[in-house]
Amino acid sequence: MLPDSETIRNAARAAASELTGRSIKDNQKLVSSGLIDSLAVLKLISLLEKKLNIAIPPETLQPEDFDDVALIVETVERVGQAEK
Amino acid sequence: MAFNSLTYLAFLVAVAVLYWLLPARMRRALVIVASVAFYASWNVMFLWMPLCVAAVVFVCGKSIQANAVAGKRWLWAGIGSLLALLVVFKYSSFVIANLGHVGLTLKGASFSTVSALAFPVGISFYTFEAIAYLVDVRQGRVKMPGFVDLCLFFFFWPNILSGPIVRARELMPQLKLDKTFEPRFVFEGADRIVWGLVQKNVIANVLGIWVDRGFEASPGVALSTVDGWFLAIAFGMQIYFDFAGYTNLAIGTARLIGVTLPENFRQPYHAASPADFWNRWHMTLSRWIRDYLFFPINAKWKGAPLPLYVSLIAVMALVGVWHGAGWGFVLWGAMHGVYLAAYRMYENLQGGSGGAKDSGISSAVWRIVTLVAVIVAWVPFRAPSVAKAGAILGAMFTRMTWRAEYGALFYAVTLLVALFCAIEPLLTRALVELDDEFAGSGLSMFRVVVRPVAYLFGLTLFLLFDQSYSQFIYSQF
Repeated sequence: MLPDSETIRNAARAAASELTGRSIKDNQKLVSSGLIDSLAVLKLISLLEKKLNIAIPPETLQPEDFDDVALIVETVERVGQAEK
Repeated sequence: MAFNSLTYLAFLVAVAVLYWLLPARMRRALVIVASVAFYASWNVMFLWMPLCVAAVVFVCGKSIQANAVAGKRWLWAGIGSLLALLVVFKYSSFVIANLGHVGLTLKGASFSTVSALAFPVGISFYTFEAIAYLVDVRQGRVKMPGFVDLCLFFFFWPNILSGPIVRARELMPQLKLDKTFEPRFVFEGADRIVWGLVQKNVIANVLGIWVDRGFEASPGVALSTVDGWFLAIAFGMQIYFDFAGYTNLAIGTARLIGVTLPENFRQPYHAASPADFWNRWHMTLSRWIRDYLFFPINAKWKGAPLPLYVSLIAVMALVGVWHGAGWGFVLWGAMHGVYLAAYRMYENLQGGSGGAKDSGISSAVWRIVTLVAVIVAWVPFRAPSVAKAGAILGAMFTRMTWRAEYGALFYAVTLLVALFCAIEPLLTRALVELDDEFAGSGLSMFRVVVRPVAYLFGLTLFLLFDQSYSQFIYSQF
């Protein structure tokens, strides 16, 4: 089973802060503002997978699916798969 | 009907006036008719091409949407058909010529003797939009519209020639064309159009006269080191003002009817790194490459270094091929791939995140290295052959001679345009602040008096510099 929304939100905030080296607000744009690039998005996905113990298959994703914390939560809930 | 022609300006004014006079329910018909007429003005024989692209997207998109299991096959069938059209009409003569060079023949005739096929303008741009459309449908990001809506999307005249490359989710909702008229549409549109005309006719075309002379000179004419560098810089400026001018005309045209197209440039020669350059140069192409090619490829390897470096060089070489069928474009793309790979290697060595910013001396060094590397890469892009590019690069780097063969005006104009590029961010900020100040104080003088005077000045310059040498560089891609 996937973690609940609040856990995903906290993990998203922590992962984005770790990548950018600054604290991230929920409505702060990450990709469209140039704060992180597509490579950093791949690292963000790996961090989320580790923190939440889930798999995020990237085939159907685009970098802008990770543009802010709310979108990250929505994306993880849409495509994330609990590790067995 | 080129954007920088009086015929086009008359067409644009007529369509825009009629657009706002008509009731909202009739505007879509007007835009379809105007778009088809505009495309037909380039080559009426190729009207079927965007129609065919729309039909492929319609059939495959509907099938993808209807059947999740068979959707993948329909996606690849659609992408394959679209790429086949692109290859046949854009690259067949290049492939044939290269097969001819290695002596291959078909049914007894040399490949090199087969005549080149004509080229439908804008095909590279709307093919990429079509591929993105199908992928987005497959990923559930957009729903398939009716066929007429799809035709409106692909024929939409402001961006059919050379972009900006739009995504369905940003343009489709706007194509309801049901907005109420606001005066700002006229100001915002006219600002971009007049500035685009000046960028193209006054800056790009003037530099183009010297650039053409230098790049097209016979191979026997040896350039000096000074002239090699000035030519490369002059072309870097010419292509920027040419393509940014076109883009301003496209964005301004759409703005006149209340539609917002995405930006394509953000002062590219101020890039902090090779990766940053591609966030500022032809931004809608970079976004396409990132979303539909680079990200899916590297997601498979989770961004591992070796596949990353190889994919950067390969993808950028493909970006070069997208620009045109020629080895110079491949070389230009591969050079940018090497720059990007080198920058990512440096980031990895520094333990960078792919999002962290450098500071201090290394930041300044990367800015200078990026600018020089970008200017150097323009040489094979512009040179008529790889041999000529090699000769110019040789003059720039290996045979140090300091003669200045051009008139003083060439060097002065090139330096002046480069200086303008250097202070462009300051000028842009000052103009925005000035506009905000007048708007904030409730005075409309800037909009009512200053703007029309500026428009008049810009249009006068456009007319003074109007000449037959007027094709946009990117309309050939």
